[in-house]
Amino acid sequence: MCDTAKYQQEVPVPNKNDTPLMVLLLFISLGLMLAGFFSTSPAHLFEGFINIQKHHGRLLSDFTVIGGTGAALVNAGLMGLFSLLVIKLAKVSISGPTFAAVFTIIGFSLFGKTILNAVPIVFGVFISAKIARKELKSYLLIALFGTALGPLVSFIMAHSGLPGPFALVAGSLAGIVTGILLPPIAMAMLRLHEGFSLYNVGFACGFLGLFLASILVAFQLDISTAIIWNTVPSPLLMLLVPVISLMLILIGISMDTIKNNVNNFLKIQKLPGRLPTNFMDNASTAASLINAGVLGLLGSLYLWLIGADFNGPTLGGLFTVIGFATFGKHLRNTWPVVAGVITATLLFGKSLTAPVPVLALLFGTTLAPIGGEMGIIPGFIAGFLHLLLVDRTASWHGGLDLYNNGFSGGLVATLMLALSEWIKSNRETK
Amino acid sequence: MKHKEIITQLMSEVSKYMLESEPSRLVISLHQETDGLHLVVLDNILRDAEELQRVEKYLNPVYRPELAEYYGSMAGTDVLGTSRLGLIGWQIKHAEVSRTEEGTKIDMFIGSEKFEPNTKKGRAD
Repeated sequence: MCDTAKYQQEVPVPNKNDTPLMVLLLFISLGLMLAGFFSTSPAHLFEGFINIQKHHGRLLSDFTVIGGTGAALVNAGLMGLFSLLVIKLAKVSISGPTFAAVFTIIGFSLFGKTILNAVPIVFGVFISAKIARKELKSYLLIALFGTALGPLVSFIMAHSGLPGPFALVAGSLAGIVTGILLPPIAMAMLRLHEGFSLYNVGFACGFLGLFLASILVAFQLDISTAIIWNTVPSPLLMLLVPVISLMLILIGISMDTIKNNVNNFLKIQKLPGRLPTNFMDNASTAASLINAGVLGLLGSLYLWLIGADFNGPTLGGLFTVIGFATFGKHLRNTWPVVAGVITATLLFGKSLTAPVPVLALLFGTTLAPIGGEMGIIPGFIAGFLHLLLVDRTASWHGGLDLYNNGFSGGLVATLMLALSEWIKSNRETK
Repeated sequence: MKHKEIITQLMSEVSKYMLESEPSRLVISLHQETDGLHLVVLDNILRDAEELQRVEKYLNPVYRPELAEYYGSMAGTDVLGTSRLGLIGWQIKHAEVSRTEEGTKIDMFIGSEKFEPNTKKGRAD
Protein backbone atom coordinates (compact mmCIF):
# COMPACT_ATOMS: atom_id res chain seq x y z
CA MET A 1 0.00 0.00 0.00
CA CYS A 2 1.37 3.37 -0.98
CA ASP A 3 -0.04 6.86 -0.85
CA THR A 4 -0.73 9.04 -3.84
CA ALA A 5 2.16 11.38 -3.24
CA LYS A 6 4.64 8.57 -3.79
CA TYR A 7 3.03 7.54 -7.02
CA GLN A 8 2.24 10.93 -8.53
CA GLN A 9 4.60 12.43 -11.02
CA GLU A 10 6.60 15.45 -9.92
CA VAL A 11 7.37 16.98 -13.25
CA PRO A 12 8.13 20.71 -13.26
CA VAL A 13 5.80 22.84 -15.34
CA PRO A 14 7.56 23.15 -18.71
CA ASN A 15 7.96 26.53 -20.43
CA LYS A 16 5.35 28.13 -18.25
CA ASN A 17 6.77 31.38 -16.99
CA ASP A 18 4.16 32.86 -14.69
CA THR A 19 6.11 36.02 -13.88
CA PRO A 20 4.00 38.30 -16.15
CA LEU A 21 0.81 37.01 -14.50
CA MET A 22 2.29 37.43 -11.03
CA VAL A 23 3.31 41.01 -11.92
CA LEU A 24 -0.16 41.70 -13.33
CA LEU A 25 -1.90 40.47 -10.18
CA LEU A 26 0.56 42.39 -7.97
CA PHE A 27 -0.10 45.51 -10.04
CA ILE A 28 -3.88 45.11 -9.67
CA SER A 29 -3.64 44.49 -5.91
CA LEU A 30 -1.31 47.44 -5.33
CA GLY A 31 -3.39 49.57 -7.69
CA LEU A 32 -6.51 48.90 -5.64
CA MET A 33 -4.67 49.87 -2.46
CA LEU A 34 -3.36 53.07 -4.03
CA ALA A 35 -6.83 53.94 -5.35
CA GLY A 36 -8.11 53.40 -1.81
CA PHE A 37 -5.40 55.59 -0.26
CA PHE A 38 -6.02 58.47 -2.65
CA SER A 39 -9.81 58.35 -2.47
CA THR A 40 -10.15 59.38 1.16
CA SER A 41 -8.32 61.08 4.03
CA PRO A 42 -5.84 58.97 6.06
CA ALA A 43 -7.86 59.32 9.28
CA HIS A 44 -11.08 58.30 7.55
CA LEU A 45 -9.29 55.45 5.83
CA PHE A 46 -7.80 54.12 9.07
CA GLU A 47 -11.10 54.31 10.90
CA GLY A 48 -12.91 52.60 8.02
CA PHE A 49 -10.30 49.85 7.77
CA ILE A 50 -10.61 49.10 11.50
CA ASN A 51 -14.41 49.04 11.18
CA ILE A 52 -14.10 46.46 8.39
CA GLN A 53 -11.78 44.25 10.44
CA LYS A 54 -14.17 44.39 13.41
CA HIS A 55 -17.30 43.67 11.38
CA HIS A 56 -18.76 40.13 11.26
CA GLY A 57 -18.79 40.23 7.46
CA ARG A 58 -21.72 37.84 7.10
CA LEU A 59 -23.90 38.13 4.01
CA LEU A 60 -24.60 40.74 2.94
CA SER A 61 -22.13 43.27 4.37
CA ASP A 62 -21.00 45.83 1.83
CA PHE A 63 -17.60 47.04 3.05
CA THR A 64 -17.95 50.20 0.92
CA VAL A 65 -20.68 51.18 3.41
CA ILE A 66 -19.13 49.76 6.58
CA GLY A 67 -15.66 51.23 6.04
CA GLY A 68 -16.09 53.51 3.06
CA THR A 69 -14.87 53.05 -0.50
CA GLY A 70 -11.22 53.78 0.29
CA ALA A 71 -10.94 51.33 3.17
CA ALA A 72 -12.80 48.62 1.21
CA LEU A 73 -10.36 48.99 -1.70
CA VAL A 74 -7.36 48.84 0.64
CA ASN A 75 -8.80 45.69 2.23
CA ALA A 76 -9.33 44.14 -1.23
CA GLY A 77 -5.81 45.00 -2.39
CA LEU A 78 -4.31 43.69 0.83
CA MET A 79 -6.18 40.41 0.44
CA GLY A 80 -4.92 40.17 -3.16
CA LEU A 81 -1.36 40.47 -1.86
CA PHE A 82 -2.09 37.91 0.87
CA SER A 83 -3.40 35.37 -1.66
CA LEU A 84 -0.34 35.90 -3.88
CA LEU A 85 1.88 35.32 -0.85
CA VAL A 86 0.09 32.04 -0.07
CA ILE A 87 0.46 30.92 -3.72
CA LYS A 88 4.17 31.80 -3.61
CA LEU A 89 4.67 29.94 -0.30
CA ALA A 90 2.93 26.90 -1.78
CA LYS A 91 5.35 27.08 -4.75
CA VAL A 92 2.58 26.99 -7.32
CA SER A 93 2.73 28.90 -10.59
CA ILE A 94 -0.04 31.27 -11.58
CA SER A 95 -2.44 29.84 -14.16
CA GLY A 96 -6.22 29.71 -14.65
CA PRO A 97 -7.25 28.33 -11.24
CA THR A 98 -4.91 30.51 -9.17
CA PHE A 99 -5.80 33.57 -11.28
CA ALA A 100 -9.47 32.80 -10.55
CA ALA A 101 -8.73 32.43 -6.84
CA VAL A 102 -6.90 35.76 -6.55
CA PHE A 103 -9.63 37.67 -8.40
CA THR A 104 -12.35 35.98 -6.35
CA ILE A 105 -10.60 36.82 -3.07
CA ILE A 106 -10.12 40.44 -4.14
CA GLY A 107 -13.80 40.65 -5.06
CA PHE A 108 -15.07 39.11 -1.84
CA SER A 109 -12.81 41.37 0.23
CA LEU A 110 -15.19 44.14 -0.76
CA PHE A 111 -17.92 42.38 1.21
CA GLY A 112 -16.81 39.87 3.81
CA LYS A 113 -13.18 38.74 3.68
CA THR A 114 -10.45 40.28 5.80
CA ILE A 115 -6.90 39.33 6.71
CA LEU A 116 -8.10 38.64 10.24
CA ASN A 117 -10.74 36.10 9.18
CA ALA A 118 -8.80 34.52 6.30
CA VAL A 119 -5.50 33.63 7.97
CA PRO A 120 -6.91 31.05 10.47
CA ILE A 121 -8.72 29.17 7.69
CA VAL A 122 -5.68 29.05 5.41
CA PHE A 123 -3.62 27.86 8.39
CA GLY A 124 -6.23 25.19 9.11
CA VAL A 125 -6.03 23.88 5.54
CA PHE A 126 -2.24 23.83 5.90
CA ILE A 127 -2.63 21.65 9.02
CA SER A 128 -5.07 19.44 7.12
CA ALA A 129 -2.45 18.96 4.41
CA LYS A 130 0.10 17.98 7.04
CA ILE A 131 -2.34 15.49 8.59
CA ALA A 132 -2.86 13.92 5.16
CA ARG A 133 0.92 14.00 4.53
CA LYS A 134 0.52 16.34 1.57
CA GLU A 135 2.09 19.64 0.74
CA LEU A 136 0.04 22.85 0.86
CA LYS A 137 0.11 23.05 -2.95
CA SER A 138 -2.14 19.98 -3.13
CA TYR A 139 -4.83 21.83 -1.17
CA LEU A 140 -3.94 25.37 -2.27
CA LEU A 141 -7.24 26.07 -4.03
CA ILE A 142 -9.22 24.79 -1.05
CA ALA A 143 -7.16 27.06 1.23
CA LEU A 144 -7.75 30.13 -0.93
CA PHE A 145 -11.43 29.59 -1.72
CA GLY A 146 -12.04 28.26 1.82
CA THR A 147 -11.72 31.81 3.12
CA ALA A 148 -15.40 32.03 2.12
CA LEU A 149 -16.12 30.96 5.70
CA GLY A 150 -14.20 33.95 7.04
CA PRO A 151 -17.36 35.49 8.56
CA LEU A 152 -17.48 32.58 11.02
CA VAL A 153 -14.15 33.76 12.45
CA SER A 154 -15.16 37.43 12.50
CA PHE A 155 -18.59 36.66 13.95
CA ILE A 156 -17.14 34.69 16.89
CA MET A 157 -14.51 37.39 17.47
CA ALA A 158 -17.09 40.20 17.44
CA HIS A 159 -20.38 38.71 18.60
CA SER A 160 -19.72 35.62 20.71
CA GLY A 161 -20.01 37.61 23.92
CA LEU A 162 -16.60 36.41 25.07
CA PRO A 163 -14.07 38.92 26.50
CA GLY A 164 -11.67 40.42 23.88
CA PRO A 165 -8.64 38.08 23.97
CA PHE A 166 -10.81 34.97 24.47
CA ALA A 167 -12.99 35.97 21.54
CA LEU A 168 -9.90 36.38 19.35
CA VAL A 169 -8.63 32.93 20.34
CA ALA A 170 -12.06 31.29 19.96
CA GLY A 171 -12.59 32.85 16.52
CA SER A 172 -9.12 31.84 15.36
CA LEU A 173 -9.59 28.28 16.63
CA ALA A 174 -12.96 28.03 14.87
CA GLY A 175 -11.27 29.13 11.64
CA ILE A 176 -8.44 26.64 12.04
CA VAL A 177 -10.83 23.74 12.72
CA THR A 178 -12.93 24.80 9.73
CA GLY A 179 -9.81 24.83 7.54
CA ILE A 180 -8.87 21.34 8.74
CA LEU A 181 -12.31 20.01 7.83
CA LEU A 182 -12.59 21.65 4.42
CA PRO A 183 -10.38 19.45 2.16
CA PRO A 184 -12.23 16.15 2.72
CA ILE A 185 -15.60 17.89 2.44
CA ALA A 186 -14.63 19.77 -0.73
CA MET A 187 -13.46 16.55 -2.40
CA ALA A 188 -16.65 14.73 -1.43
CA MET A 189 -18.83 17.61 -2.70
CA LEU A 190 -16.95 17.58 -5.99
CA ARG A 191 -18.10 14.04 -6.67
CA LEU A 192 -21.73 15.03 -6.05
CA HIS A 193 -21.90 17.39 -9.03
CA GLU A 194 -18.90 16.00 -10.95
CA GLY A 195 -17.46 19.42 -11.72
CA PHE A 196 -20.65 20.98 -13.12
CA SER A 197 -20.52 23.87 -10.63
CA LEU A 198 -17.36 25.95 -10.68
CA TYR A 199 -17.52 27.20 -7.07
CA ASN A 200 -17.13 23.80 -5.49
CA VAL A 201 -15.53 25.10 -2.29
CA GLY A 202 -18.52 27.43 -1.97
CA PHE A 203 -20.73 24.34 -2.07
CA ALA A 204 -18.56 22.66 0.58
CA CYS A 205 -18.55 25.81 2.74
CA GLY A 206 -22.33 26.05 2.52
CA PHE A 207 -22.67 22.41 3.55
CA LEU A 208 -20.30 22.89 6.49
CA GLY A 209 -21.98 26.23 7.20
CA LEU A 210 -25.27 24.42 7.93
CA PHE A 211 -23.60 22.65 10.84
CA LEU A 212 -21.67 25.71 11.99
CA ALA A 213 -24.81 27.86 11.98
CA SER A 214 -26.63 25.21 14.01
CA ILE A 215 -23.83 25.24 16.59
CA LEU A 216 -23.98 29.03 16.86
CA VAL A 217 -27.75 28.90 17.30
CA ALA A 218 -27.30 26.23 19.98
CA PHE A 219 -25.17 28.80 21.84
CA GLN A 220 -28.16 31.17 21.48
CA LEU A 221 -26.35 33.54 19.15
CA ASP A 222 -28.41 35.56 16.69
CA ILE A 223 -27.44 34.69 13.12
CA SER A 224 -30.33 36.31 11.30
CA THR A 225 -29.20 37.87 8.03
CA ALA A 226 -29.46 41.49 6.94
CA ILE A 227 -28.52 43.40 3.81
CA ILE A 228 -26.08 46.30 3.96
CA TRP A 229 -25.97 47.59 0.37
CA ASN A 230 -24.39 50.75 -1.02
CA THR A 231 -27.00 52.53 -3.14
CA VAL A 232 -24.85 55.58 -3.88
CA PRO A 233 -21.52 54.11 -5.01
CA SER A 234 -18.71 56.43 -6.03
CA PRO A 235 -17.68 56.88 -9.71
CA LEU A 236 -14.41 55.16 -8.81
CA LEU A 237 -16.30 51.92 -8.15
CA MET A 238 -18.17 52.25 -11.45
CA LEU A 239 -14.97 52.63 -13.44
CA LEU A 240 -12.88 50.02 -11.66
CA VAL A 241 -13.96 46.84 -13.45
CA PRO A 242 -14.23 48.34 -16.98
CA VAL A 243 -10.69 49.74 -16.62
CA ILE A 244 -9.27 46.42 -15.37
CA SER A 245 -11.17 44.54 -18.11
CA LEU A 246 -9.79 46.80 -20.84
CA MET A 247 -6.32 46.37 -19.39
CA LEU A 248 -6.65 42.57 -19.50
CA ILE A 249 -7.82 42.70 -23.13
CA LEU A 250 -4.92 44.96 -24.15
CA ILE A 251 -2.38 42.79 -22.33
CA GLY A 252 -3.84 39.68 -23.99
CA ILE A 253 -3.70 41.31 -27.43
CA SER A 254 -0.07 42.34 -26.90
CA MET A 255 1.01 38.85 -25.81
CA ASP A 256 0.29 36.99 -29.05
CA THR A 257 -0.47 37.45 -32.75
CA ILE A 258 -3.99 38.43 -33.82
CA LYS A 259 -4.44 35.10 -35.63
CA ASN A 260 -3.38 33.05 -32.60
CA ASN A 261 -5.54 35.12 -30.27
CA VAL A 262 -8.60 34.74 -32.50
CA ASN A 263 -8.05 30.98 -32.86
CA ASN A 264 -7.45 30.46 -29.15
CA PHE A 265 -10.35 32.70 -28.14
CA LEU A 266 -12.65 30.63 -30.38
CA LYS A 267 -11.10 27.45 -28.95
CA ILE A 268 -12.01 28.61 -25.43
CA GLN A 269 -15.62 29.18 -26.52
CA LYS A 270 -15.84 25.54 -27.61
CA LEU A 271 -14.67 24.10 -24.26
CA PRO A 272 -17.44 22.85 -21.94
CA GLY A 273 -15.74 24.52 -18.98
CA ARG A 274 -16.37 21.67 -16.57
CA LEU A 275 -14.00 21.53 -13.60
CA PRO A 276 -11.05 21.53 -13.99
CA THR A 277 -10.69 23.33 -17.35
CA ASN A 278 -7.65 25.57 -17.25
CA PHE A 279 -8.04 27.84 -20.28
CA MET A 280 -4.41 28.93 -19.97
CA ASP A 281 -3.26 25.34 -20.57
CA ASN A 282 -6.05 24.34 -22.97
CA ALA A 283 -5.81 27.44 -25.18
CA SER A 284 -3.39 30.24 -24.24
CA THR A 285 -2.74 32.77 -21.50
CA ALA A 286 -3.30 35.67 -23.92
CA ALA A 287 -6.71 34.43 -25.11
CA SER A 288 -7.71 33.65 -21.51
CA LEU A 289 -6.99 37.24 -20.48
CA ILE A 290 -8.99 38.51 -23.45
CA ASN A 291 -11.87 36.21 -22.47
CA ALA A 292 -11.66 37.55 -18.90
CA GLY A 293 -11.70 41.14 -20.11
CA VAL A 294 -14.63 40.54 -22.46
CA LEU A 295 -16.75 38.94 -19.72
CA GLY A 296 -15.79 41.73 -17.30
CA LEU A 297 -16.86 44.40 -19.79
CA LEU A 298 -20.12 42.63 -20.65
CA GLY A 299 -20.94 42.16 -16.97
CA SER A 300 -20.30 45.86 -16.31
CA LEU A 301 -22.36 46.83 -19.36
CA TYR A 302 -25.27 44.72 -18.09
CA LEU A 303 -25.16 46.37 -14.64
CA TRP A 304 -25.00 49.80 -16.27
CA LEU A 305 -27.91 49.05 -18.64
CA ILE A 306 -30.27 47.85 -15.91
CA GLY A 307 -29.16 50.62 -13.56
CA ALA A 308 -27.72 48.36 -10.86
CA ASP A 309 -25.39 49.66 -8.15
CA PHE A 310 -21.64 49.25 -8.60
CA ASN A 311 -20.92 48.50 -4.95
CA GLY A 312 -18.90 45.96 -2.95
CA PRO A 313 -21.04 42.87 -3.65
CA THR A 314 -21.66 43.57 -7.36
CA LEU A 315 -17.98 44.38 -7.90
CA GLY A 316 -17.21 41.14 -6.10
CA GLY A 317 -19.42 39.36 -8.62
CA LEU A 318 -17.69 41.02 -11.54
CA PHE A 319 -14.22 40.23 -10.17
CA THR A 320 -15.24 36.58 -9.72
CA VAL A 321 -16.59 36.39 -13.28
CA ILE A 322 -13.31 37.85 -14.58
CA GLY A 323 -11.25 35.37 -12.56
CA PHE A 324 -13.23 32.32 -13.60
CA ALA A 325 -13.07 33.40 -17.24
CA THR A 326 -9.65 31.72 -17.19
CA PHE A 327 -11.02 28.60 -15.46
CA GLY A 328 -14.37 27.58 -16.87
CA LYS A 329 -16.49 30.55 -17.96
CA HIS A 330 -16.91 32.00 -21.42
CA LEU A 331 -19.61 33.64 -23.52
CA ARG A 332 -21.03 30.45 -24.98
CA ASN A 333 -21.50 28.54 -21.72
CA THR A 334 -22.63 31.45 -19.52
CA TRP A 335 -25.40 33.03 -21.61
CA PRO A 336 -27.96 30.20 -21.15
CA VAL A 337 -27.55 30.43 -17.35
CA VAL A 338 -27.79 34.22 -17.44
CA ALA A 339 -30.94 33.98 -19.61
CA GLY A 340 -32.45 31.55 -17.08
CA VAL A 341 -31.77 33.91 -14.16
CA ILE A 342 -33.23 36.92 -16.01
CA THR A 343 -36.33 34.97 -17.07
CA ALA A 344 -36.99 33.73 -13.53
CA THR A 345 -36.45 37.24 -12.14
CA LEU A 346 -38.98 38.79 -14.52
CA LEU A 347 -41.45 35.89 -14.31
CA PHE A 348 -41.68 36.11 -10.53
CA GLY A 349 -41.98 39.89 -10.50
CA LYS A 350 -38.60 40.61 -8.92
CA SER A 351 -36.51 43.63 -9.77
CA LEU A 352 -33.45 42.99 -11.93
CA THR A 353 -31.53 45.53 -9.84
CA ALA A 354 -32.42 44.04 -6.43
CA PRO A 355 -29.49 42.48 -4.55
CA VAL A 356 -30.49 38.81 -4.92
CA PRO A 357 -31.24 38.80 -8.69
CA VAL A 358 -28.24 40.92 -9.63
CA LEU A 359 -25.86 38.76 -7.60
CA ALA A 360 -27.56 35.56 -8.79
CA LEU A 361 -26.93 36.65 -12.36
CA LEU A 362 -23.24 37.35 -11.83
CA PHE A 363 -22.39 34.47 -9.48
CA GLY A 364 -24.93 32.09 -11.06
CA THR A 365 -22.42 31.64 -13.86
CA THR A 366 -20.90 29.04 -11.54
CA LEU A 367 -23.32 26.78 -13.50
CA ALA A 368 -21.68 27.62 -16.84
CA PRO A 369 -20.43 24.02 -17.34
CA ILE A 370 -24.05 22.86 -17.52
CA GLY A 371 -24.63 25.22 -20.44
CA GLY A 372 -21.31 24.19 -21.95
CA GLU A 373 -21.64 20.41 -21.71
CA MET A 374 -25.33 19.53 -21.28
CA GLY A 375 -26.59 22.26 -23.65
CA ILE A 376 -28.55 25.49 -23.85
CA ILE A 377 -31.85 24.25 -22.36
CA PRO A 378 -30.30 22.55 -19.29
CA GLY A 379 -28.16 25.67 -18.80
CA PHE A 380 -31.26 27.85 -18.95
CA ILE A 381 -33.15 25.61 -16.50
CA ALA A 382 -30.15 25.63 -14.15
CA GLY A 383 -30.07 29.44 -14.14
CA PHE A 384 -33.83 29.58 -13.59
CA LEU A 385 -33.68 27.19 -10.61
CA HIS A 386 -30.62 28.94 -9.22
CA LEU A 387 -32.44 32.24 -8.79
CA LEU A 388 -35.26 30.58 -6.88
CA LEU A 389 -32.96 28.62 -4.60
CA VAL A 390 -30.28 31.21 -3.86
CA ASP A 391 -32.93 33.50 -2.40
CA ARG A 392 -33.35 31.02 0.46
CA THR A 393 -29.97 29.40 1.02
CA ALA A 394 -28.22 32.34 2.75
CA SER A 395 -30.55 32.08 5.74
CA TRP A 396 -29.84 28.34 6.04
CA HIS A 397 -26.21 28.99 6.99
CA GLY A 398 -26.81 32.40 8.54
CA GLY A 399 -24.78 34.14 5.84
CA LEU A 400 -21.60 32.47 7.10
CA ASP A 401 -20.68 31.14 3.63
CA LEU A 402 -19.81 34.11 1.46
CA TYR A 403 -20.08 31.89 -1.62
CA ASN A 404 -23.81 31.44 -1.10
CA ASN A 405 -24.28 31.25 -4.86
CA GLY A 406 -21.68 28.46 -4.90
CA PHE A 407 -23.76 26.60 -2.31
CA SER A 408 -26.96 27.07 -4.28
CA GLY A 409 -25.14 26.37 -7.56
CA GLY A 410 -23.77 23.10 -6.19
CA LEU A 411 -27.26 21.99 -5.19
CA VAL A 412 -28.69 22.92 -8.60
CA ALA A 413 -25.81 21.18 -10.41
CA THR A 414 -26.32 18.03 -8.32
CA LEU A 415 -30.02 18.01 -9.20
CA MET A 416 -29.34 18.58 -12.91
CA LEU A 417 -26.68 15.87 -12.93
CA ALA A 418 -28.94 13.35 -11.23
CA LEU A 419 -31.68 13.96 -13.79
CA SER A 420 -29.29 13.90 -16.75
CA GLU A 421 -27.67 10.67 -15.59
CA TRP A 422 -31.06 9.04 -15.11
CA ILE A 423 -32.24 10.07 -18.58
CA LYS A 424 -28.95 9.08 -20.21
CA SER A 425 -28.65 5.70 -18.51
CA ASN A 426 -32.26 4.75 -19.31
CA ARG A 427 -31.92 5.76 -22.93
CA GLU A 428 -28.70 3.79 -23.32
CA THR A 429 -30.13 0.59 -21.90
CA LYS A 430 -33.10 0.56 -24.30
CA MET B 1 -5.58 7.91 -1.49
CA LYS B 2 -4.37 4.37 -1.52
CA HIS B 3 -2.52 2.73 -4.35
CA LYS B 4 -5.22 0.25 -5.31
CA GLU B 5 -7.78 3.04 -5.46
CA ILE B 6 -5.62 4.94 -7.94
CA ILE B 7 -5.30 1.82 -10.10
CA THR B 8 -9.07 1.32 -10.01
CA GLN B 9 -9.65 4.96 -10.97
CA LEU B 10 -7.15 4.73 -13.84
CA MET B 11 -8.68 1.53 -15.18
CA SER B 12 -12.19 2.94 -14.88
CA GLU B 13 -11.47 6.22 -16.68
CA VAL B 14 -9.36 4.73 -19.47
CA SER B 15 -11.88 1.91 -19.97
CA LYS B 16 -14.61 4.51 -20.24
CA TYR B 17 -12.67 6.19 -23.02
CA MET B 18 -12.06 2.90 -24.86
CA LEU B 19 -15.68 1.75 -24.49
CA GLU B 20 -17.00 4.97 -26.00
CA SER B 21 -15.91 3.54 -29.40
CA GLU B 22 -17.78 0.27 -28.65
CA PRO B 23 -14.97 -2.24 -29.17
CA SER B 24 -15.79 -5.96 -29.27
CA ARG B 25 -12.59 -6.73 -27.36
CA LEU B 26 -10.95 -4.91 -24.44
CA VAL B 27 -7.95 -6.22 -22.52
CA ILE B 28 -6.53 -4.66 -19.35
CA SER B 29 -3.18 -5.93 -18.16
CA LEU B 30 -1.30 -4.91 -15.02
CA HIS B 31 2.43 -5.60 -14.50
CA GLN B 32 4.25 -4.96 -11.26
CA GLU B 33 7.76 -3.58 -11.89
CA THR B 34 10.48 -2.33 -9.54
CA ASP B 35 9.23 0.87 -7.84
CA GLY B 36 6.20 1.05 -10.07
CA LEU B 37 3.48 -0.40 -12.21
CA HIS B 38 2.83 -0.79 -15.91
CA LEU B 39 -0.83 -0.73 -16.94
CA VAL B 40 -1.67 -1.75 -20.51
CA VAL B 41 -5.09 -1.34 -22.08
CA LEU B 42 -5.80 -2.77 -25.55
CA ASP B 43 -8.88 -2.73 -27.75
CA ASN B 44 -9.69 -3.62 -31.35
CA ILE B 45 -10.62 -0.14 -32.62
CA LEU B 46 -8.29 1.42 -35.20
CA ARG B 47 -8.00 5.12 -34.40
CA ASP B 48 -6.34 7.66 -36.69
CA ALA B 49 -2.96 9.23 -35.88
CA GLU B 50 -4.54 12.54 -34.89
CA GLU B 51 -6.76 10.83 -32.31
CA LEU B 52 -3.84 8.86 -30.90
CA GLN B 53 -1.80 12.06 -30.57
CA ARG B 54 -4.69 13.81 -28.87
CA VAL B 55 -5.10 11.00 -26.34
CA GLU B 56 -1.37 10.90 -25.63
CA LYS B 57 -1.42 14.66 -25.02
CA TYR B 58 -4.31 14.32 -22.58
CA LEU B 59 -2.50 11.56 -20.72
CA ASN B 60 0.70 13.61 -20.44
CA PRO B 61 -0.67 17.00 -19.33
CA VAL B 62 1.16 19.98 -17.91
CA TYR B 63 1.53 19.03 -14.26
CA ARG B 64 -0.49 21.23 -11.96
CA PRO B 65 -0.10 20.13 -8.33
CA GLU B 66 -2.93 22.41 -7.20
CA LEU B 67 -5.32 20.56 -9.53
CA ALA B 68 -3.93 17.01 -9.41
CA GLU B 69 -4.87 15.97 -5.89
CA TYR B 70 -8.10 17.94 -5.58
CA TYR B 71 -9.74 17.46 -8.96
CA GLY B 72 -7.93 14.19 -9.71
CA SER B 73 -10.21 12.60 -7.13
CA MET B 74 -12.98 12.75 -9.75
CA ALA B 75 -11.13 10.37 -12.09
CA GLY B 76 -13.01 7.17 -12.74
CA THR B 77 -16.08 8.29 -10.81
CA ASP B 78 -17.90 10.39 -13.42
CA VAL B 79 -21.03 8.88 -14.83
CA LEU B 80 -22.05 11.67 -17.17
CA GLY B 81 -20.14 13.12 -20.11
CA THR B 82 -17.21 11.95 -22.14
CA SER B 83 -14.16 10.45 -20.47
CA ARG B 84 -11.69 12.92 -19.04
CA LEU B 85 -8.26 11.50 -19.61
CA GLY B 86 -6.59 14.65 -18.27
CA LEU B 87 -7.74 13.69 -14.77
CA ILE B 88 -5.75 10.47 -14.88
CA GLY B 89 -2.85 12.12 -16.67
CA TRP B 90 -1.98 13.83 -13.37
CA GLN B 91 -1.95 10.53 -11.48
CA ILE B 92 0.59 8.76 -13.66
CA LYS B 93 4.24 9.15 -14.47
CA HIS B 94 4.01 8.72 -18.21
CA ALA B 95 1.73 7.34 -20.94
CA GLU B 96 2.20 6.14 -24.50
CA VAL B 97 -0.51 5.59 -27.07
CA SER B 98 0.14 3.44 -30.14
CA ARG B 99 -1.61 1.57 -32.89
CA THR B 100 -1.47 -2.22 -33.00
CA GLU B 101 -2.37 -4.45 -35.94
CA GLU B 102 -5.88 -4.87 -34.58
CA GLY B 103 -6.54 -1.67 -32.67
CA THR B 104 -5.17 0.72 -30.03
CA LYS B 105 -2.79 0.21 -27.14
CA ILE B 106 -2.39 2.55 -24.18
CA ASP B 107 0.61 2.07 -21.90
CA MET B 108 0.51 3.86 -18.56
CA PHE B 109 3.36 3.92 -16.09
CA ILE B 110 2.68 4.63 -12.46
CA GLY B 111 5.52 4.88 -10.04
CA SER B 112 7.68 6.71 -7.56
CA GLU B 113 10.54 9.02 -8.51
CA LYS B 114 12.85 6.00 -8.57
CA PHE B 115 10.70 4.28 -11.17
CA GLU B 116 12.36 4.18 -14.59
CA PRO B 117 9.83 2.60 -16.92
CA ASN B 118 11.11 0.74 -19.92
CA THR B 119 9.31 2.83 -22.54
CA LYS B 120 9.75 3.11 -26.27
CA LYS B 121 10.69 6.75 -25.86
CA GLY B 122 13.24 6.09 -23.14
CA ARG B 123 12.93 7.51 -19.64
CA ALA B 124 9.56 8.89 -18.84
CA ASP B 125 10.65 12.17 -17.33
